[in-house]
Amino acid sequence: MSPTTVRQQDATGPKRGGSASPLSSPALEWLWQYHRDVRRPHLVDCGVVRTATMDILLRRCGKLYVADLLSPLQSDDPKYWDRSGKVPVFLIEDFLTRVPPIPSGSIAAAFCWHLFDLIPRDGLPKIVDLLFSLLQPGGLIFCLLREPYLPTGADTDFRFENLTTLGTVGQANRHFPYPVLTTRELEKLVPAGSVKTFLTRSGRREVLVMK
Amino acid sequence: MSTNQNPTLLGRSLVLKGDLSGNEDLVIEGQFDGNINIQDHCLTVGAHGQLKAEVHARQVVVLGSVNGNITARDKVEIRKTGHVLGDLVAAGIAIEDGAYFKGSIEILREDAAEAPQALASSSAGLSHE
Repeated sequence: MSPTTVRQQDATGPKRGGSASPLSSPALEWLWQYHRDVRRPHLVDCGVVRTATMDILLRRCGKLYVADLLSPLQSDDPKYWDRSGKVPVFLIEDFLTRVPPIPSGSIAAAFCWHLFDLIPRDGLPKIVDLLFSLLQPGGLIFCLLREPYLPTGADTDFRFENLTTLGTVGQANRHFPYPVLTTRELEKLVPAGSVKTFLTRSGRREVLVMK
Repeated sequence: MSTNQNPTLLGRSLVLKGDLSGNEDLVIEGQFDGNINIQDHCLTVGAHGQLKAEVHARQVVVLGSVNGNITARDKVEIRKTGHVLGDLVAAGIAIEDGAYFKGSIEILREDAAEAPQALASSSAGLSHE
């Protein structure tokens, strides 16, 4: 897959902290269209456990792995930080134990939401490596990356309204803890040509990374 | 299949290890370590219940903690106070917002023929609702 940027014309303008109204997702439309021939894909949801999301994914998939990686980042869970030194250290190895055992190369799609915006930057390569190793050839990582003009929304959870429409849960008041992750920075962590970016007017880029 | 009689209760102060099988509903409020097989009945893990077990039941409701795989012919429910580490296989799954779950979920499907219909709607980007 060559690097591609698709600009979506959205009727609504950007909203501080994100939009409360359902968002039609061009990346998810692309993803499900791409996997239309996969009868029962194996999926991973890295978001906060949401009944609606699980109901919708379970109707489509053969097996759903649940690995809530967002909650501890949104709540700054002290369990994953070593604050004994001058500089707090994020315990990425401990954090990755939240991922259940998943056979390598078995996953058709991993839903990461704002994970890459919320994880400390030095932990990013390991989480991307792990997720990438779980993907089957042609498997996709779906993630949301905030735009520079969206300072808040770190506490926003996303859920599926249906397979291609996203709804939000949360106050969207909390600032994102790290600078904007550019698509170029993400491209450096994965093989060349594997990132596809969909621009939206919701303040977030939707990004697919293909194996 | 559920019996009319009251379910058997494993009380809060009880700690059990081993294999448990039977023909009645079961509520666990204590600790249990082993295997549970009540194929035609309902297992409820109460808010104080702690299981390290492989579970086979008709229906499983979790309000406490389960470390192990659960297979249910009908449904697995994890309530918001529930904490489950393991793989779930059931005809239906309900996990309340706020529950903790780490593992995988597989749905038992009676009719495999439903798949093409699901594919058609997803490829068109449509809701399954």
